[in-house]
Amino acid sequence: MKIIYLLKKEFLEIFKQKELLFMMIIAPIFQLIILGYVVTTDIKNIPVGIIDLSTGKSTTRIINRITGSDLFDVKYISGVNRDTVKELKKGAVKSIILFRDPVKTGAKIKKYPEVQILMDGVDSNSSRIAAGYFNGIIKNFILDDLEVLGISPLVKGKPLIRFNPELRSINYMGPGIVALLLTTITLFITSISIVREKEQQTIDTLLISRLRPYEIYIGKALPMGIVGVIDMALGVLVAVVWFDIPVRGSLLVLLISSVIYLMAILSYGMLISIFSTSQQQSLFFSWFSLLTFILLSGLFTPVENIPVGLRWLVSINPLSYLIRIIREIFLKGNGIEQFYGDLLSLIMLTILISLISIFNFKKFISK
Amino acid sequence: MSNNIIEIKNLVKKFGRFTAVNSISFGIREGEILGFLGPNGAGKTTTIKMIMGLINITEGEIIVDGMDIVTHRKKIKDKLGYMSQKFSLYPKLNARENVEFFAGISGLSRDKVNNKIAELKEIIHPDIIEKSVENLPPGIKQKVALFASLIPDPEILLLDEPTSGVDPKMRRNFWQDIYELKKIGKTILVTTHNIDEVEYADRIVILHRGNIIVEGEPANLVREYDVDSVETLFKEAVKKNERD
Amino acid sequence: MKGIKPITRKELHHILRDPKSLIIIFMMPVFMVFIYGYAISFDLNNINIGIVDNSGSDLSAKLVGKFLNNKYFTLVGPQINEDRSIEAYERRLKSGEIDEIMIIPHDFSKKIKNRIPVDIGFVIDGSDSNTANIIYQYNEMILFSFIGEFQNIEDILQIKTKIYFNPELKSTYFFIPGIIAVLLLMVSALLTSLSISREKETGSIDLIFISPIKSYEIIIGKTIAYIFVAFAVESIILLLARFWFGIPIEGNLIVLFAFSLIYIFTGLSLGIVISIAAPDQKTSMLGTLLITILPSIMLSGFIFPITSLGEVLRWTSNIIPATYFLKIIRSVVLKGASISDFLVDGLILTLMSIVLIFIAVKKFSKLRKIAG
Repeated sequence: MKIIYLLKKEFLEIFKQKELLFMMIIAPIFQLIILGYVVTTDIKNIPVGIIDLSTGKSTTRIINRITGSDLFDVKYISGVNRDTVKELKKGAVKSIILFRDPVKTGAKIKKYPEVQILMDGVDSNSSRIAAGYFNGIIKNFILDDLEVLGISPLVKGKPLIRFNPELRSINYMGPGIVALLLTTITLFITSISIVREKEQQTIDTLLISRLRPYEIYIGKALPMGIVGVIDMALGVLVAVVWFDIPVRGSLLVLLISSVIYLMAILSYGMLISIFSTSQQQSLFFSWFSLLTFILLSGLFTPVENIPVGLRWLVSINPLSYLIRIIREIFLKGNGIEQFYGDLLSLIMLTILISLISIFNFKKFISK
Repeated sequence: MSNNIIEIKNLVKKFGRFTAVNSISFGIREGEILGFLGPNGAGKTTTIKMIMGLINITEGEIIVDGMDIVTHRKKIKDKLGYMSQKFSLYPKLNARENVEFFAGISGLSRDKVNNKIAELKEIIHPDIIEKSVENLPPGIKQKVALFASLIPDPEILLLDEPTSGVDPKMRRNFWQDIYELKKIGKTILVTTHNIDEVEYADRIVILHRGNIIVEGEPANLVREYDVDSVETLFKEAVKKNERD
Repeated sequence: MKGIKPITRKELHHILRDPKSLIIIFMMPVFMVFIYGYAISFDLNNINIGIVDNSGSDLSAKLVGKFLNNKYFTLVGPQINEDRSIEAYERRLKSGEIDEIMIIPHDFSKKIKNRIPVDIGFVIDGSDSNTANIIYQYNEMILFSFIGEFQNIEDILQIKTKIYFNPELKSTYFFIPGIIAVLLLMVSALLTSLSISREKETGSIDLIFISPIKSYEIIIGKTIAYIFVAFAVESIILLLARFWFGIPIEGNLIVLFAFSLIYIFTGLSLGIVISIAAPDQKTSMLGTLLITILPSIMLSGFIFPITSLGEVLRWTSNIIPATYFLKIIRSVVLKGASISDFLVDGLILTLMSIVLIFIAVKKFSKLRKIAG
């Protein structure tokens, strides 16, 4: 069994390079934890300014609600008008809330002030969320006020949240980040595996040895696959223990899906390695591919927002399938019957990438 | 000509528009040491890689022990031992692990692999056998690399710049080893750009810009071209070729 | 100072003679701009809703109509022969076919007519908490306007919202100027870091070491050469932003380029510091990418507002150059702000550049001493 010796060598090389070992085992855990905190950032502490030109008593109560909420960080409350556009340009506050007495309409004077919200729309996402917060706060204020008077709204929505009842964003992002890290590590390391031998000129020795091409291919890919599975296990562990993310589905199905996915990434990494002439080049291509994989995976932003003309990029992106599957398993506890379509597509994609990779490897060996 | 174990005929290698090897023909006789000389970029390594079947031939043919490299690549591979410029060792592994690996992938049984490691211990001091190869002096690396390339017991040894970066004393030791190998019947092709080493070779071929410019036995050549040494011959031949 | 010119000239020659790298350096940013411009958007445009109407009355039909007339909601109704039970809807929710279920109780119409408060059930897929929050808000909004027809609650308090600088709330306005900040730092740091580590690997650095050129001249000479390249990258992205994505450039371009110069300097000197510390090109490249891209994307306010981050991360964002430049470029491009609005940020960047150049020269001299 010549391949055993190749496998042994690959593992020895990994274990003897402390920085590599660090990069494969320790770094992902740190990254997972840091990313876990960053990407689950809920919009809060929005810097706002309040200008109160009203005379009614209710304004003070509304302002109290705003200052009391940790969604807003009230920078000032001013009794006189200010140059609002100039302040928004300066950027110290993202929104300014202006309270005025309502215009008298006939004899009937409204009890509540007129509210104007001036927003900096640059960060479209945060602005939209902030607008929602304001509306919510003010609406609830009115409803509470009316309740005291014995008036309650005729129709109320009674929401029931499934799968993630506490609406913790880490439950949604965490499993995705595990998939992301798995990809990063295995792609980088696989993509340098052959090119490193090229640089050391050991590749020629391998090629004229009695090892058969498939043995070289497997001998190179398998250790990275094992590292990938270990990383996956560590990632799931951190997700469950540190971030307290529930796993509702089957871990076995998760493992199988991950292994299929790993095969796609390893083949792709080998492909990069075959075509690169230096480790630097292969790292660059891996980096580039990785960014594309991530941005088009639905990890951070919904895939539905990608224009239809570019959706095909998502369908040839293996990471997009893994992200969907891993979320289904973690959050919804779905079984294969719910996502067999994604799994099937992933399998086909894996076969396709592997075939391209193996074909090019054979060509590379006998050029 | 029948005793040529390697026969190269009109060999051409082009990389795109660049011609690395320009229709060269020469033979290597069984049991001889052939010095393959030339400045950097002359086409030496390309030729060796074609002999091993690692890169495709553009034109011409290479016959090893009566077999064509294009059709009998696998069988030919089994006859060849190879050692590259950088000694083709894994820098992070130590000498023992390297030898174990090379022995293992040569298809040796576990016992035979262990025998090889035992043999290695006879030539390498036990203090350094467990040290990463990258921390060993070039002379020792060279010794380990030669040992490793001999593991499959090849009939023909292709040594690509085996003495680069090695001090003169170790170089002499190395050539002694090569003579020992010749004595047990190995055929050896050595490329080098150290002209002073050609005295050790039975015959030399000088390659420059993909062309063979000189071929013959060192002593005969010096007489034939009426020069004081092979070094002068080399310099003049290169100069002449550059003019043409 | 006369040592600077030959070094700059040599670097420029080197750049021009390596078209492959040059193409990569220009293509990658363009590619990223397109990806961010087209593929990345947080906007929630469509909510698939399943409706279980147990009331089946005119009133409930009116409520359903209110939801379906809203551009965000799309009815994913069961086909004629499909199961209409709540369980069936729950299964659709689980498979992701629908995002929420609205359940209207059977006594809906009766209660409203008798002025008895009634609850509408909503079952929301909470997997993505952000989306769930937005769905919840939309629900409330529509219900509120529905009530308005029976009770005079809605127009008791009118909220008028006015949005400046990006009135249509387009993600591209947010991302494209932002990506310039991320890419500019990456490209400039990468350029210098590779330049020095390449000289280290080929050994040509020894020639520079023994030359009479002073360390600071080498550093500055290299930096100047790459400023041209970085400026070219920035101009290309700005042109794309303006003419391809139609982002209006409100502010003064000269001001923007002046501040970019400082920022590019920060990136270039960062690259030098990294490459001096790294043993080879590979490490230096990976190090540069990791140090410049990840923090610039995650912690600078590029995607997530800094004010929302936790204390430690918020503090960290202060040492990331992109944080300051992001504010500058968004202020100039989108808001048409004046220099006084971001002068402080410019000064901090200047300070960072000076410190980094100082470290670079120091480290370089040290390396030189060891080599000599």
